[in-house]
Amino acid sequence: MLKLNHIYKWVKSGGRRIFLLNDLNLNVEKGEFLSIMGPSGSGKSTLLNVIAMLDDFDEGEYHFEGEAIHNLKSKKRTEIFNQNIGFIFQAYHLLDDLTVYENIETPLLYKKVKSSERKALVADILDRFNIVGKKDLFPHQLSGGQQQLVGIARALIIKPQLILADEPTGNLNSKQSDEIMQIFKELNQEGVTIIQASHSESNAAYGSRIINLLDGSVKKS
Amino acid sequence: MIRNYLKTGWRNIIKNKGTFSINIIGLALGIASCIMIMLYVVNELSYDKFNVKADQIVRVVFKANIKNEAIKEAVVMAPVAQTLKNDLPEIIDATRLAKSYNNRLEYNGSYYGQSSLGYVDPNFFNVFTLPIILGNQNTRLDKLNSVVISESLAKSIFGNTDPIGRTITVTNRHEQLNVSGVMKDIPQNSHFHFDFLVSTLGYPQAKNTSWLESDFFTYLVLRKGTEISGVEAKLPAINKKYMGPQMLDAIGMSYEEFQKENSLGLFLQPLTDIHLHSNFSDATTLEQGGDIKYVYIFSAVALFMLVIACINFMNLATASASKRSKEVGIRKVLGSNKKQLIYQFLAESFISTLLATFLAIALFSIALPFFNQLAGKAIDFSSLLQPVYILSLIGLILIITFLAGSYPAFYLSSFNPLNALKSKFSGGGKSSGIRGGLVVFQFVISAGLILATLVVQEQMNYIQNKDIGYEKDQLLVIRNTYLLGNNEDNFLDKIKNDPRVENVTHSAFAPAGESDNEVGGIFLNGEFQRRMFFYNVDENYIPTMGMELLQGRNFSEEFGDENDKIIINKKAAEILGIGQDAIGKTFQRDTNEGLLDITIIGMIKNFNFKSLHQEIEPLILKKNPYGGMIIRSKTADMSGIIENLNEDWNRYNPKEALNYSVLDDSFKHTYLKERKMGTILTLFAMLTIIVACLGLFGLVTFTAEQRFKEIGIRKVLGSSAAQIVTLLSKDFLKLVGISFLIAFPLSYYLMNKWLQDFAYRTDIHWWLYLLAAGITIGIAFLTIGIKSYKAASVNPIKSLKIE
Repeated sequence: MLKLNHIYKWVKSGGRRIFLLNDLNLNVEKGEFLSIMGPSGSGKSTLLNVIAMLDDFDEGEYHFEGEAIHNLKSKKRTEIFNQNIGFIFQAYHLLDDLTVYENIETPLLYKKVKSSERKALVADILDRFNIVGKKDLFPHQLSGGQQQLVGIARALIIKPQLILADEPTGNLNSKQSDEIMQIFKELNQEGVTIIQASHSESNAAYGSRIINLLDGSVKKS
Repeated sequence: MIRNYLKTGWRNIIKNKGTFSINIIGLALGIASCIMIMLYVVNELSYDKFNVKADQIVRVVFKANIKNEAIKEAVVMAPVAQTLKNDLPEIIDATRLAKSYNNRLEYNGSYYGQSSLGYVDPNFFNVFTLPIILGNQNTRLDKLNSVVISESLAKSIFGNTDPIGRTITVTNRHEQLNVSGVMKDIPQNSHFHFDFLVSTLGYPQAKNTSWLESDFFTYLVLRKGTEISGVEAKLPAINKKYMGPQMLDAIGMSYEEFQKENSLGLFLQPLTDIHLHSNFSDATTLEQGGDIKYVYIFSAVALFMLVIACINFMNLATASASKRSKEVGIRKVLGSNKKQLIYQFLAESFISTLLATFLAIALFSIALPFFNQLAGKAIDFSSLLQPVYILSLIGLILIITFLAGSYPAFYLSSFNPLNALKSKFSGGGKSSGIRGGLVVFQFVISAGLILATLVVQEQMNYIQNKDIGYEKDQLLVIRNTYLLGNNEDNFLDKIKNDPRVENVTHSAFAPAGESDNEVGGIFLNGEFQRRMFFYNVDENYIPTMGMELLQGRNFSEEFGDENDKIIINKKAAEILGIGQDAIGKTFQRDTNEGLLDITIIGMIKNFNFKSLHQEIEPLILKKNPYGGMIIRSKTADMSGIIENLNEDWNRYNPKEALNYSVLDDSFKHTYLKERKMGTILTLFAMLTIIVACLGLFGLVTFTAEQRFKEIGIRKVLGSSAAQIVTLLSKDFLKLVGISFLIAFPLSYYLMNKWLQDFAYRTDIHWWLYLLAAGITIGIAFLTIGIKSYKAASVNPIKSLKIE
């Protein structure tokens, strides 16, 4: 599904280059459940951001579903991202001024989906995650786990091909973490490609493949 | 989609109720003040323009410079109107107006005291647009003894009955007048107001052929398109032709000879200039007008207020928007493109601005009646509803929306979502520099206005407390006692013996308020020196008024008539070049019987008998008691005396009303214009500082939130709350300090210019600056301090938890 070839990304510091991604190569097939592991500072988040086209790289090639991303203008890149990728953050990043229902609905609004269709889609997903009763609450009224659920629901509502999750259970306790990972497993079984970055060994175990990052490149495992 | 934006925007407002209200109120205050002042200025500029022929009407005025004495009179000689109409083809009509004071009207046994009526030529209504609502449109004042009355007067005298054809008596002149028409009340923005216009056909002075006596306000209608200067250039020749021969007869000098060392002439003043650009002697001014200077000042103030309020609004909106960078990041990740974000923020900005404008209009309508009272106007709310104002308001809303919304809309929306999510900016560097500059600007204006207000108050105090050469309190002025005829002496004696009265003088020459006037020529050995003011007094005048005799003696009963003796003021001694040796010197003054020798017996300290705007002129006192009385009461409460005077007067002469005034009040009234300006200035200084402080409050809030984490860390490291407050306040107080450096020199320059208008003025003391600075810093510090203290008291754990 996506292919990264000899990706380099660096920042300049006092005349020297500090590499965030150092000759990174990666192939991901459709339907995979990939876990990216590694210590702090190894470049997990950076890699995820590059894959999500939220961040760019300095050297190398990136093909997504056949498209040469490195050749596209940022507007086109954003478009592809919006159509195909759902992003889940460690800090949830919900819109504090909107209810659960409105938070989940927002991506559909940006896609200009019709009102009746929106209602149906949101209702479905609320149902699926068993949070129908909470649809009129605001984020600050929910627990961490519930907020992350909303975050996942929001990422899923556009039926993306690829889900990227950056430390999705970082702020949750073990019970909540398990629940979230279960959901990821189910989604993957339904055919959604998932790439997660995580510290946690137990989380990584849910995946089909693990890669280890160290200092910006893939460690040979 | 819009609903989503509205929901977000609305809930954002609810979350930040305090900041939002401050913002809206600040902007509303600015807009409301601007509207108020704008309508005031428009009103001031609109005087007399309701006349259809306004652009063609000019007033003939008289300006002269005689022996270095500048004379400016708005009235001219009786024959001028008809003469100019006959001799100059550019003049298609000419009409005259004479004002008569202190008349009493009687109808059907009831008396109506009227202070003024106007004698006008029959064609007055052809020149001025004064619609007649009852009576024949055409005849009006063509008949002898006809009068046109105003709607309000008609109502008060006749109620609902038809006034046409009825007879009103002007008792003090024994005139019986027939009402030939009722006119609409003259609008507020006219330079004259009368309820009673009588035809000049029955007015003897109207037939006067003298070119040396001025009594009439004269208005000309020029042919459309005529240049005023062209007509004005023809006037000197007319002067020479008609004034010359009469001048030769009167003073023995020909017109050309006179013009060699002096100048006099007739000039033309456009009708529309009268209200704001008139500078004529008080005796020849119909009504105290405005001053174009104040129009400029107020326009500037209005503009400043609006600018400050808008700047505030933009500043605060921008500051609170940068808190939403995270939301921008999220929305971008969720699929928003830049255009949608721009739209969202501009929509929010629009709603806030709209709300503020509605609030402003509400504030305006509530404050309007008070403002009208303060400024002596009759501005109507509906005048705001004219298309030009509505369009301007809409334009203003759009501009503010754009300016306030553009930062979040354009700047924020272009951020990389990742950076936005990590809240990696807060508008430091460049934008905080701009914000700082805006704070300085606001405080420059606030500090400047405070200083200006203080200076105006100082000057008003100075005027009130200055030694003006006489004691102005507890003086009662009674005019026209000659109307009591044979009973005048009884009336006077009764007062003299009243135990509540300290002293009485038989004279109607008062240094403030309405007064008799006399001007005469002074000659030395038959040679004309200059004209001087004369006061006709008795031996009680100087003691009653509390004046100080510097040399020589006062008039005295011992010496009988003394009509060849005079007392002069110090200024007269200087002008006549006799300085310290005035006593015993002899001059001549002109009378109907030729030149009369007069000898100086005394010299008094200069006293201000004109407004403090003017230098003290030379003055001559001569013994010639008549006309009125000035009473010095032993106590400040003069109501008892006034009551008795009224009773006595009405016993002797019920046909006239007792004309009395309190000198101190008249004195204060002279400076009414400045007083009003002072009050309005104070009001707007306060408003400006409120708005500036609101802005400061908002900025401090923003900064405190920005530095939330930093404050938490510092507290953990050991900083006290006081040190945090100092940290946060330092920068702002520095800005306020800078604004003083700019404001004070500017203010000094402007206030000095204003003070130049007064011949007698206070200095701008250094401690006024201190006071203004103190007030400004005090208010600013209060504002900053409250918010900083709150921020400094937050538990550091709270600020360090988030990350």
